[in-house]
Amino acid sequence: MRIEVERAILQSADEAAAAIRELLSGRKIFALNLLSSPGSGKTTLIEALLARFDGKGGVAVVEGDIETEIDAERIRKHGVQVRQINTHSACHIQPTRLLSVLREMDLSETRLLLVENVGNLVCPAEVSLGEDARVVLLSVTEGDEKPLKYPLVFKTSDLLVITKTDLLPYVTFDVERVRRAARAANPAVQIFEVSATTGAGMSLLLDRIEALRAAKNG
Amino acid sequence: MHELGVASEILDIALSEAGRHAAKKVTSIRLRVGVLRAIEPENLSFLFGHLARGTPAEGALLEIVEEPVRVECEGCGASEARSFTIECPRCKGPGVTVTGGDSLSILSLEIDA
Ligand SMILES: [Zn+2]
Repeated sequence: MRIEVERAILQSADEAAAAIRELLSGRKIFALNLLSSPGSGKTTLIEALLARFDGKGGVAVVEGDIETEIDAERIRKHGVQVRQINTHSACHIQPTRLLSVLREMDLSETRLLLVENVGNLVCPAEVSLGEDARVVLLSVTEGDEKPLKYPLVFKTSDLLVITKTDLLPYVTFDVERVRRAARAANPAVQIFEVSATTGAGMSLLLDRIEALRAAKNG
Repeated sequence: MHELGVASEILDIALSEAGRHAAKKVTSIRLRVGVLRAIEPENLSFLFGHLARGTPAEGALLEIVEEPVRVECEGCGASEARSFTIECPRCKGPGVTVTGGDSLSILSLEIDA
């Protein structure tokens, strides 16, 4: 006997994501979900955002990592509220887990929430954390075929940040090819090229994030 | 290894549907899987088989209906492809937009009542 089911897998995750979205909207918090391979510059971007928004109404950070607390320690030095989620065997942050962490945090002053997802381009792309914008980072040292290998993360991201552009003269990385692939996956994607070392492109990116935050919550 | 979470959710849904229909056994599960999902069918089946041991879904066959991507080409219109591409599969032109291919759902179950 056949039973028609027609049900999306990972739906329970979507319910938790909706609950996160509601919690954030109620408190007027703008949330970014940051995705990339390990070492592409997520923590560095978070530090730049902390410098930019310091004293302007509260930034909170949630660090996802399989086992360690190294990134959380690095961020904690900036004197902001940081929570660590160790996912152990799981390759991405579960929205149910993020929801319970957010419920424990004091978010009364928070205006910007930064979630650093676990470092890989496959699993975190599949799960919404109820974020307002998803940011994928790709460093020029990783190679320009990444969007062809992992299109889902590029399709689902609002911002693509190409990092470590100061190293472009030393690597084979066709920026135009990456831009083309990212646009084929998501015509609305906004693409930035930055170097944390020289500071190139950084203020443009931070301005854009501030504009997105202001557009949501004023 | 992201197939593990997917396999576990397939089992949960299959067992709850089987329970609702008072089924003794689930014999097969039909899935729609988009090509962008990066699911390895063998890996998924292996993990599902492992998780389903001792449940009414033990031995159930996973039948995967692959969902292709739709490629919209500025030059020659729409076509389908089995993987993400930045080049039209027909005219090799560069002006493409790729949609779809991201489904992940259970379509139906075969059960023994
Ligand atoms: Zn064409």
